[in-house]
Amino acid sequence: MADAQSAVSEEKAQAALQELLWQLADDDLLVGFRASEWLGLGVHIEEDIAFASIAQDEVGHAQRYYGLLEGLGLGRADDLAHLRPPESRRNSVLLEWPNGEGQYFEAPRYDWAFTLVRHHLYDVFEIIRLEGLVHSHYSPLAETAAAILGEKAYHRDHQELWIDRLWRQGGEARQRVEAALALAAGLAGDLAETDPWTDLWESSGWWPGARAARDRWHQAVTEFWARYGVTVPPWGCPGNGRAGRHTPHLAQALAVLSEVYRQDPTAGW
Amino acid sequence: MTTREDPDRLEAFLARIDRGERIEADDWMPDDYRQQLIRLIAMHAVSEIMGALPEKEWVPKAPTLYRKLAIMAKVQDEIGHGQLLMRVAEDLVAPLGKTREDLLDDLFSGRLKFHNVFHMPAPTWADAGIIAWLVDGAAIITQGMSLSSSYAPYVRALQRIVEEEGFHIQHGESICMALAEGSASQRHSLQAALERWWPALMMFFGPNEADHPSSHQKANLRYRIRTKTNEELRQRFLTKYVPRIRSLGLVPPDPTLHYDAEQGRWIYQQPDWEWFRRIINGQGPASSARLTLKRLTYEEGRWARAALAQGR
Amino acid sequence: MDGERLTFDVYEVFAQTDPLGPHQHQFSLLASSPEMAMALAQENFLRRREIYSIWVVRRDQIVKSGPKERERFYRLKKSYRLTEDYRYLADKWRRYRQAPMTPETMV
Repeated sequence: MADAQSAVSEEKAQAALQELLWQLADDDLLVGFRASEWLGLGVHIEEDIAFASIAQDEVGHAQRYYGLLEGLGLGRADDLAHLRPPESRRNSVLLEWPNGEGQYFEAPRYDWAFTLVRHHLYDVFEIIRLEGLVHSHYSPLAETAAAILGEKAYHRDHQELWIDRLWRQGGEARQRVEAALALAAGLAGDLAETDPWTDLWESSGWWPGARAARDRWHQAVTEFWARYGVTVPPWGCPGNGRAGRHTPHLAQALAVLSEVYRQDPTAGW
Repeated sequence: MTTREDPDRLEAFLARIDRGERIEADDWMPDDYRQQLIRLIAMHAVSEIMGALPEKEWVPKAPTLYRKLAIMAKVQDEIGHGQLLMRVAEDLVAPLGKTREDLLDDLFSGRLKFHNVFHMPAPTWADAGIIAWLVDGAAIITQGMSLSSSYAPYVRALQRIVEEEGFHIQHGESICMALAEGSASQRHSLQAALERWWPALMMFFGPNEADHPSSHQKANLRYRIRTKTNEELRQRFLTKYVPRIRSLGLVPPDPTLHYDAEQGRWIYQQPDWEWFRRIINGQGPASSARLTLKRLTYEEGRWARAALAQGR
Repeated sequence: MDGERLTFDVYEVFAQTDPLGPHQHQFSLLASSPEMAMALAQENFLRRREIYSIWVVRRDQIVKSGPKERERFYRLKKSYRLTEDYRYLADKWRRYRQAPMTPETMV
């Protein structure tokens, strides 16, 4: 009886670990994909180059997390990144949302303000999440988190510098930042959603700090925007990415990023 | 070479060139030298910037996570090359009261041309491989020649560029080899991409002007802005790449292509030079789509650029 | 000794020994003006070398990375940016009976 119980809880703990890794991997893949769409189209040549590194960092982080899932025997990292259908993806809806109207091939009208504000919300959350994960009892995750955490402060500072500049500019730039924050807050409601896994993540030690993460994130975001006298608009989300409920934008993104791989997943590329 | 400048000064300048000295942005230079440099380097700069676009189409679609990262890094480098060359061109046009914005406006209005090879469509992943391997392979030959250019700021930029191109070619070789060693459909797509890009590669270095060089070409050779003719560069490219292309089982789409040992040169089918002229005048298959994309996103970003500029 | 304390500006000195090389930092000196800094730089730091170009920059006009910025330089290794990831190509080319391309043979 005790054995059966511990087997059940062991199974649950494994499921909780996988769930956490899916969220980590899918978040970084999608935010990296959206950042990469700016490549070659940046608002300023020097910025184009710098932001391309941020995009690479994020996809590189995703690669490491998919690698951990591969290590758990869940399949090849590239299959996990490219072939899973939208409903099995666990990224926040915030990160699948397009940079603006129009597809890359058909007159993209990307909004740099939204890209920055979205990425900043994510950076602030990601840093809080990683600060907990460096103490994870799953040591491959703790090591990965420590390696990744070092790159995140630069991302956050970069977005903050830009947001600050746009805000101080006033006029259209400030209006765009305000509109971007309203849009992003209305999408980011699922980003720090830890239920129903919170207790398991804490008790199994996969993510120490999971329970406090949302409050810490809300507080950090509130404090950042308070510097500009801005009250963060109400959090909301047209779905819940953590439960696999996504917008059609995710399916569109996945179709693009897996177009070639899908032609022959068994081939060498 | 017509110039209204003091003939003694001009002679002294040409003597410096002949001694192999390098010219700096703040040295005295004849107007004609400045104009030739602007023409060449501004065109090179916008070609790097526009040249990022055909490969950029394959950045989000690159098959694996590794290839996604590698092609992102590669395209990022190309924009970086655009940045380096833009800065060199900007310093050359600054005494004329012009800035980066003016150079980009010249690109959008068609006054400033970008390289003919970047007007071509890249419809498959194999195109991304062929571009990185062979288009960059051709580019590095031109850039390698320009390392002996008389204009020092250009050479300093090129040294950084050529170093990175070495990585780009290997990135391209790696993609092409994977396809060449892959499934029948992968091999087929690679051969199709080679056939698509072959005329563009033959046009890459421009027409053979040995018998009647243009005034620009003559001026560039005199000023040691360039040191080799179009045909010399094309021959070099064929020598380096045809055997490698064939070794992968690929067939260049030119039945006449062969090395003539007696003449010591490659014989090849002339591409359609009339088409070449139409392409550089913006009538290539992808010219208008790429320029529109660049112009649209440039205009869309104007508000952010204004905020950046005014934050000084 | 009476009188006020003497103040100078600190100038950082950069020099280029090869027209195609970078300007490299040499050291710093005290001077009263950019012209004076330029006049002193060569004989202070570059007596034994042929000089192509010198830059002197007043130190307070340099924006430097401080301890916080230096922390931000941390990056994970990105081997896909380096040719070392493509070393395997050399063996492949030999199998195709072709010499591998090197940066020297590419140009």
